[in-house]
Amino acid sequence: MVLEVKNVNYAYKSQKGKEILKNISMQFEEKKFYTIVGASGAGKTTFLSLLAGLDMPVRGKILYDGEDIQEKGLNYHRKHHVSLVFQNYNLIDYLTTEENVRLGGTKKPQDLLEKVNITREDWKRNVLQLSGGQQQRVAIARALASNAKVLLADEPTGNLDETTAGEIIELLKRTAHELGKCVIVVTHSKYLAAQADEIIMIKDGCIGSFTELSD
Amino acid sequence: MNSFQMAWRSVIRKPIKSILLFFVVLIISMFFLSGMASRNASIATQDKTKQAVGAGFLMEVNEENKRDRADEILAKKTEGEEGNFDGVTVKKIETEYGTSWSVSYDNSFQTLLISEMEKIAAVSGISEYNLTTAVTAVNPVDFSRIEDDDVDQSSDLLCVSLIGNKDMALDANVLSGNVSIKYGRMITEEDANVCVISEELAEKNNLSVGNSIQFNDRHDVENAAVFAAEIVGIYKVQQKMTPIMSGDTWRSENIIFTDLGFPEKAEGSTSGALYEKAYFKVADVNQYDEIKKEIQEVDIGWERYDLIDNNGNIDKMSKNFNDLESVSQILVVVVAGASLIILFLVFVFWMKERVQEIGILLALGTPKIKIFGQILLEAFMIATAAIFLSFTAAPAASQITASYLVQQQVRQADEQSVIEDGKVAKSAEDSEETVTGVSVAVTPELMLYDWFGVALLVVISVGAAGTLIAHKNPKDIFSEIS
Repeated sequence: MVLEVKNVNYAYKSQKGKEILKNISMQFEEKKFYTIVGASGAGKTTFLSLLAGLDMPVRGKILYDGEDIQEKGLNYHRKHHVSLVFQNYNLIDYLTTEENVRLGGTKKPQDLLEKVNITREDWKRNVLQLSGGQQQRVAIARALASNAKVLLADEPTGNLDETTAGEIIELLKRTAHELGKCVIVVTHSKYLAAQADEIIMIKDGCIGSFTELSD
Repeated sequence: MNSFQMAWRSVIRKPIKSILLFFVVLIISMFFLSGMASRNASIATQDKTKQAVGAGFLMEVNEENKRDRADEILAKKTEGEEGNFDGVTVKKIETEYGTSWSVSYDNSFQTLLISEMEKIAAVSGISEYNLTTAVTAVNPVDFSRIEDDDVDQSSDLLCVSLIGNKDMALDANVLSGNVSIKYGRMITEEDANVCVISEELAEKNNLSVGNSIQFNDRHDVENAAVFAAEIVGIYKVQQKMTPIMSGDTWRSENIIFTDLGFPEKAEGSTSGALYEKAYFKVADVNQYDEIKKEIQEVDIGWERYDLIDNNGNIDKMSKNFNDLESVSQILVVVVAGASLIILFLVFVFWMKERVQEIGILLALGTPKIKIFGQILLEAFMIATAAIFLSFTAAPAASQITASYLVQQQVRQADEQSVIEDGKVAKSAEDSEETVTGVSVAVTPELMLYDWFGVALLVVISVGAAGTLIAHKNPKDIFSEIS
């Protein structure tokens, strides 16, 4: 178990009293591919933000390798424990493909770019000159550049066509199963959700875990 | 990738924001340098003005003290007694209306004391000094003076006027630029029995440099000893010198400059020379005020003298340029204030434009301090380039600014002068000096001040703009983006 959520509650500061997440507890393991599903506004992205250390729960704890992530600080958690992939890629617009990957960590960017099928001629190009699918692959390569055991992705295929989305899903699955990472993906896509080893459903601030997606 | 590499790439690859900041800093830096250089230029101009009007001090006998001393001497003498009492001559005059008394002072009583003048000349910072005798009327023995044919000369002394100088180049008429040498040379300290005459007198008597002319005591023209002086120079004037009283004896063309000792010989004085003025030239005009203080501390009988500094003209000119100094200072302060606001707005624009980048870096675990450090580094890179460019353009910009400010000051002073004309009592005539130009220097010291000033403004502005984002957590930032 690499990541554990213990009795976590969350409410927006602007909406006092209204809890988005209610007493959630959950455990995540390495080499597994998780998807988080739920209706819009159910709190999927908020849950992912808490796992990523982008925000803090109102109550409860998030543990990484048994240690509260707030003990060493959320910055440390983001830098060393988790890596993130976003729906809109979030690449830095004035850097090249290779330079963006280098931002993620110490691993050789060339190896990672080859792994995510970015051709050599695109390595030195400005990242905004790549297609959406390529940019998302670069974002995944950046996430893989660190030694973090957890990869968190928020709607990674949301802006992509079906074929490209399929390639990205495959890439994420391989990241979990071949590279041994714990991959947690928030998605609306039933297809993507169905690919997961474990599906987490958030509804009315509560959580349920399944191995198969039902209607 | 470290902060420097990131900053460099951002500066080069996002040129619009870089160019915006570059030009803002360039303009700010030029204004700063212009303001500071103008402030220094005003001082330089002030000094030049002092030099132009002759930076020095004039000593004269205090007339009130002279009268007091005479009264003191006369109070001690016995009623009705005649004679010379310590330089004050009392003479009884019997007329048909009764007895009256005449009181006169001899040269020893009213002269500047050489021993005391030499003490002042010894003050460090005084480069040269001159003594000038009183205008002395003597009889021209072997030459004719200039006369006005339409004037009855019976009431005139029928003399010419001698002015003795230790160093003629420091005579007030020469310093003012009114008297200059046409032929020959001026009289120096080493000369004896020499003179410099007017071009009119030379022409009338067909005299030239190398000739000699003779004088004797006007009180006994027939018997008095005759003294000859060699003509070493012929002078011309811009404007006629003002006579000390009416009569052709004192007219400008009949004034003859001689060496310091000659007038007392020619007038047959028995009470020594009458030194009327002493002039002390200041070596370094920048030390004018310090030297004045030192002079005032010299141990002499100060009650006997008046110490006159540059006769009020400098005070007026200095006042104008002191105004310029404060105007320049205001310019620097206003530029600093305006720059702070402009730079703050520029960096707010930067931050807003880079919210996503800041969010990404935060998501990657980059500390906020490092992100602001990168932005500050970018700002410094651009600002440094702009400041260096401003250094090359600053001399021209400073010259224009300083000249403009000086013109404004002079115009303002002229307008003030017109307003005050006839309403305000002045101790001296207004200066005839005009400002023909202003020189400014953008020194390395000013450049250093400029660099520090702009750097400080950049740090404050980045810090202030950074607080708009610093309090947000990464999730808020990503919410803003989406």
